[in-house]
Amino acid sequence: MNRWKRSLALPVTMVAIALGFLISLQAQTQKNVSAAEQISSDRMAQMKSVLSNSKTQNIRLQTERRDLLEQLDAARKRMGTDPQLLAQLKQLQIMEGTQEVEGPGIQINIDDRKAPFPLSPDDLARMINTLKFADAEAISLNGQRIVGTTAIVLSGSSTILVNQVPINRTEGIPYELGTIGNQDTLLDYFSKLEALELKRHGVTVSITRKTVRIPSYKGVYTFKESESKDIP
Amino acid sequence: MQLDKRERSLLGIASILLGFLFIILLKAQGVTGSQVVQETAVPSLIQTEQENQQLSDENAKIRLELVKYAQGQSASTLANQQLQEAKMNAGLVALTGSGLRITLDDSKREVIGEEDPNSYYIHEQYIREIFNALWNGGAEAVAVNGQRVTTHTEVFCGGSFIQINGTRQMPPYLIEAIGDSRNLSAALNFYGWFKLGDLQQQNGITRKLEILTKVMIPTGKLYNYRYAEPVKEGT
Repeated sequence: MNRWKRSLALPVTMVAIALGFLISLQAQTQKNVSAAEQISSDRMAQMKSVLSNSKTQNIRLQTERRDLLEQLDAARKRMGTDPQLLAQLKQLQIMEGTQEVEGPGIQINIDDRKAPFPLSPDDLARMINTLKFADAEAISLNGQRIVGTTAIVLSGSSTILVNQVPINRTEGIPYELGTIGNQDTLLDYFSKLEALELKRHGVTVSITRKTVRIPSYKGVYTFKESESKDIP
Repeated sequence: MQLDKRERSLLGIASILLGFLFIILLKAQGVTGSQVVQETAVPSLIQTEQENQQLSDENAKIRLELVKYAQGQSASTLANQQLQEAKMNAGLVALTGSGLRITLDDSKREVIGEEDPNSYYIHEQYIREIFNALWNGGAEAVAVNGQRVTTHTEVFCGGSFIQINGTRQMPPYLIEAIGDSRNLSAALNFYGWFKLGDLQQQNGITRKLEILTKVMIPTGKLYNYRYAEPVKEGT
């Protein structure tokens, strides 16, 4: 042992201590991690199966709906429903939002991920209000149709609910506003009244003219307290 | 520094072990990080579930209609029924019912010293916030100063007045809503009602809430669409 240099004694001891420490730490975390891994992979699998179940159900329901609507159309034709009445019905259904619509308009992509402050529900409501001011005919926010009764609220600390549905996205553009109407007016009003201010706050805004498709409102209207004055 | 063979091998083994341990540690870290993926699945699950619910409701409705057709009910009666329903939903039917009335008015007090005069006025934003809270509280119909709030209603600041449904509105603003008054007031209290209360105390704006057994909400205007076209199903 005398052959060992004195100067080496200290570093070797240090290394030995560090090694011992690391090994014991490792043993412990390994145990925790394998347990956590187990739990999270279990959860993940459950979540995935639930999600895929509800997705298949969704597809099934949609095909069913398509079939039913075809039958309905056929039945209406057979019974000879007044086409004028049907056109009027369509117009009202666009207004109540249950009819999916398509037309020229603008799509607005808003990215607040790099902004110092994320957008609040009030900001989103203000933008939608501006679009309404620009005479938008139909508006959607992240796939949710904006109708008269739409409320945009914060749930918890960061989840935004539109029509009671969470619209937050974890990847891609955080907010997509689609709107149908006069493209020039929409573009002009939105860029002057909203986009400038948003850009000043570090939010990226991109606006494109295109044919926009606005999905239908999936919620329900309920009237419990109301009575109509028109119909006796 | 000169090292003999034994020392060199000792150090070598130690550093190999160290490196090995670090890699395992890093891997362990990576596993705990992957939990984020699961969190993101929850909102999309809620969304699909909700959509499913709505789809099956809708399908049930269509089925009911088909049954009525099959039973030989008059097609025009049926279409008329639907028309009435859609009118009601779109806000084109005047309604009465129990609910509440909110009165907002600018402050009558003089602005003192260096105070911000802006906090003496009712801004369009407050009205929008109240609408939002009312809808969130399950309001069935809302109107302000006799203007029915529909999907096309804008509440836009036009300087000294507020533009609502293309008309100029001046204070006081009378907001009326039909719905469960307890739910409505709870929603109001949750969103911004207290902020207005502060303005009332400090600057003397008017903020009044009345619960009424009968509120009358006028009808909205039908909108003629020039750009939006109905999408044919199945495309």
